[in-house]
Amino acid sequence: MRLRLRHVLSAALSCLALAVSGGAWAQAAPPKKFKIALSMSYIGNDWQAEAANMIKAMAAHPSMANKVDLQVQVAGPDAQRQIQQINAMVQGGADAIVVFPISPTALNQVIRNACKRNVLVIAYDGEVTEPCAYNVSIDQEEAGRVTAEWLVEKLKGRGSVVMLTGVPGTSVDEARTRAAKQVFARYPDIRVVAEAPGMWSQAVARTELSKILATQSWDRIDGLWLQVGCYTANTMQIEAGRKPDQLRPCAGEGSNGGRVQMLAAGTAAAGANSTYAPMAAPRISYASPPYSGALALKIAVRKLEGGEIPQRVTLPLPVVTNETVRLCKEGTWKEMADGCNAFMPSVVTNPGWFASIFSKETPEIGLQAALASQPEP
Amino acid sequence: MSAAVPALRRSSLRLDGAAGTLVAFGVLIVLFLLVRAKSSGPLSYFELSFIASGGATLALAAMGQTVVVLSGGFDLSAGAVVSLVNAGLATRMGPDLASQVGWGLGALAIGAAAGGLNGALVAVARLQPIVATLATMFILQGLTLLAMPRPGGAIPPEFVAALTGDAVPDLLPAPVLVIAAAVCAWLLLRRTRVGVGIYAVGSDPAAAYAAGVPSRAALFSAYVVAGLFYGAAGAFVSAQTGSGDPLVGRPLLLQTFTAVVLGGTLLGGGRGGCVGTVAGAYALLLMVNLLLAFNVPAYYSSIVEAAVLVCAVLAGSLGAGSVLQRQLRAATIRLRRSQGMAPTLHRPRSGRSTTALPAEQPSWLKRNRDLLRWNAPAWIALALMLAVTAFTYGSSVSGLDYVNSLLVLGLFLLVLALGQGAAVMTGGLDLSLPWAITAAGVLACSLVQGNDAAGLWAVPLVLLLGTGVGVLNGLGIALLGLPPIVVTLGMNGMLQGAALLWSGGTPAGFASPGMRWFMTGRLLGFAPAAWFALAFIAAATFLLARTVFSRRLLAVGNGALAAWLSAVPVGATLVGAYALSGLCAALAGVLLSGFSGQASLGMGDEYLLPSIAAVVVGGTLITGGRGHYLGMAGGALLLTALSMLLSGSMLPNAVRDILLGLVVLAAVAALRDKRV
Repeated sequence: MRLRLRHVLSAALSCLALAVSGGAWAQAAPPKKFKIALSMSYIGNDWQAEAANMIKAMAAHPSMANKVDLQVQVAGPDAQRQIQQINAMVQGGADAIVVFPISPTALNQVIRNACKRNVLVIAYDGEVTEPCAYNVSIDQEEAGRVTAEWLVEKLKGRGSVVMLTGVPGTSVDEARTRAAKQVFARYPDIRVVAEAPGMWSQAVARTELSKILATQSWDRIDGLWLQVGCYTANTMQIEAGRKPDQLRPCAGEGSNGGRVQMLAAGTAAAGANSTYAPMAAPRISYASPPYSGALALKIAVRKLEGGEIPQRVTLPLPVVTNETVRLCKEGTWKEMADGCNAFMPSVVTNPGWFASIFSKETPEIGLQAALASQPEP
Repeated sequence: MSAAVPALRRSSLRLDGAAGTLVAFGVLIVLFLLVRAKSSGPLSYFELSFIASGGATLALAAMGQTVVVLSGGFDLSAGAVVSLVNAGLATRMGPDLASQVGWGLGALAIGAAAGGLNGALVAVARLQPIVATLATMFILQGLTLLAMPRPGGAIPPEFVAALTGDAVPDLLPAPVLVIAAAVCAWLLLRRTRVGVGIYAVGSDPAAAYAAGVPSRAALFSAYVVAGLFYGAAGAFVSAQTGSGDPLVGRPLLLQTFTAVVLGGTLLGGGRGGCVGTVAGAYALLLMVNLLLAFNVPAYYSSIVEAAVLVCAVLAGSLGAGSVLQRQLRAATIRLRRSQGMAPTLHRPRSGRSTTALPAEQPSWLKRNRDLLRWNAPAWIALALMLAVTAFTYGSSVSGLDYVNSLLVLGLFLLVLALGQGAAVMTGGLDLSLPWAITAAGVLACSLVQGNDAAGLWAVPLVLLLGTGVGVLNGLGIALLGLPPIVVTLGMNGMLQGAALLWSGGTPAGFASPGMRWFMTGRLLGFAPAAWFALAFIAAATFLLARTVFSRRLLAVGNGALAAWLSAVPVGATLVGAYALSGLCAALAGVLLSGFSGQASLGMGDEYLLPSIAAVVVGGTLITGGRGHYLGMAGGALLLTALSMLLSGSMLPNAVRDILLGLVVLAAVAALRDKRV
């Protein structure tokens, strides 16, 4: 046995060598800074990575850098881990915890415990139901309702609709889908002909739409209500040989690819290529904006400095239609404040990238924040 | 006789089990000390109580998984049972004491019932555990969504306090008591006939049968006991969260396997135990605190976790009889032999022997009976599925368009099934597929940048890198002797970190027009990818049925030692199998990004379980030694046809999950293993 224990220890030491990187709060923080911890979900998707970039940029802004000591941790898709992580953050002496909640309910106990120890907890994008937590998010039901109503209006109350939902079993998906179905149910001539889980991913949208099209042709579909996937749907129609003016109206996500497609055909957009190009696609584009985490960080600091903040911040639903879409030149916050909301393909090379990054509350962050964690000067 | 044999086994077991358990506790203590070294102040009671409560759900669920693994199986339904129990309690438990006690017991009953279903499928119907539990996983997920379509519900505070509060205030947290009770139950059980029977069927089913162990009863009870543990985990997570979430158990599945392996239990059965698993589960959980204490940057966290996992398991395998030691010894002997200092090992040299064929060949049907028996079910089920599709959609579907879509959409699974199938045929599994696919897609798109000329060198380069990743997997398995699940899971974490670092969180670039045309264009009526799918089936069938490589795969899967003695290069075969899997994953990643036009993070996540399902539905034995690509291809196309049928329908998601589970069950019902 002694032999084995020695092996264990030697292996553990080599692991220690691997694990040593970066310093903990205990050594790094000068006394005055607020310790703020971010517990985010699964980092392996576009939205999460973009939101994390914006939070880091917010913390790095000159107005924040000397106030905030930010620690970012990833919980993965697992509520259990997030519970443990929040506990560890409380133990580690965090002043505030900004959290992307993996579950609206599972964190309630641990959040209550954090509140008891005077740790501020702010959830962004998803909601948590524990009353002592603060929430920053859009109204998901409104998102479902507004987009469905737009589609019904485009179809003049008659036609076949394909729906792609989000991740089944989440409250965000349930709220959006239920609200949209309630709208469709009011119009007897609107028929939902196919519905599949789109998992909020362009790649999944592609496979699910392809499956649906194996049994339904574009001729028999009049409109699309997709939580994520309009960019992909338009691309598929073009590939299937349809002309841009034949594109079906699509209510869906706020990806930059989708926004660029909405621009009037012929708009000069640097870097445009194949279907990532202006084509006047009939669209309503909405999003759960990725700036919500950065805003949560900002109001957390306001609260820690003794200011008052509302328990629930309902963000204005960022809705862009063909009438309001406008291309940005550089994507500074100032420029977006003047009303531009789509970005050059040469700058944003990933069409699935989420373009709803403007809030009048966050002049600290612009396009470079979302792309590269760089705050506005 | 019947008493003597298991008793003998048990006494030798106790030693092996103890070593594994000790290593697990060693890892746990080292992690704990690391975390403590970084935190300020002494260990408080609160901290202890948080850790105890944080790891309890995983520990309980992993104990259940351990029992199934000991019996020689896998249980993919573990997380689904936990979710189902959580949803049941959160929606049904009332505020009065009777209801709380009743539903507390009800949790165990639900778990046992689900376990009983698994047990019946495995022990009575004799389906392969991995596919039977995969089917129940889908069915239970569906039932959970029916019971609770979204998070909500509430658990009464008394129930919460009883399981997660203080047993003795400021001294003993209740979760410690819960775990202690579970461990005691296990220690008692393993001394009974049932416990001994579980170990016996897991270590050698034939010997157990010969020794008079009631094998079927032992197998059945293993799943019921596992179900009881999952039920307890479900009750605990309900108390811990105070509410219900239909997805709460889903991420538990892979972690239970990791905890089992960390805890020193041998995959394949017969050795190990639940005590080590508890240490393994808590070690996994402490990783969260470790990452926080050392402030590991987010993009590196999956890499660090993977490294710690591999290190921990490596530490456990460094004993005298380990593969690594044996490899070192063999290398020394080879070295000495080359210097003429060691005697030559008498091992037959590889070579071709020509045996004369018997004069009279048996009929085609007789010769190919096994081929038909294992491969036909998937194709028959596929034919039925196509008939149902034609009946449902009638004349509105153009046959050619449908076949085109089926082949194009099925291509990803067809490709992945080849690699996964080769790994499974050697008795392993490749869990690195999700991020191997994603990393390949991300890398290919960022190198190609929409330029066909760049694609000419970038795509082969990506395929080469994918093969290299597979070679690394194979070397870890063959040289270090680590379990395939650990090596490939670790590789998955490394690749995730690599993809995130490479892309900075936003994958840039897009597929070239050529790549897109290949997947979505037209050539002689079909997409080029559809023609490619047909050619791929032919080539892969040849590779896995008619080559020396394929016979070596089967030989290794049937028993590495026997294969080695028969002059099969075991190590090279393993490396070859995982290299093939890495190549296939990279190819799938390139094809998928051509299909989507760009790569996105997480695009490989949807393909891991289907790749395993396709292989097993196609008649491959999950423990290795039997497999044919024709069957796997049938399985891949069957799963694709089923999801196409469901996507075009208006059925609720919950019902779709249940149907998927039932179809998988029906498809493998014909693959029952008639041997005991």
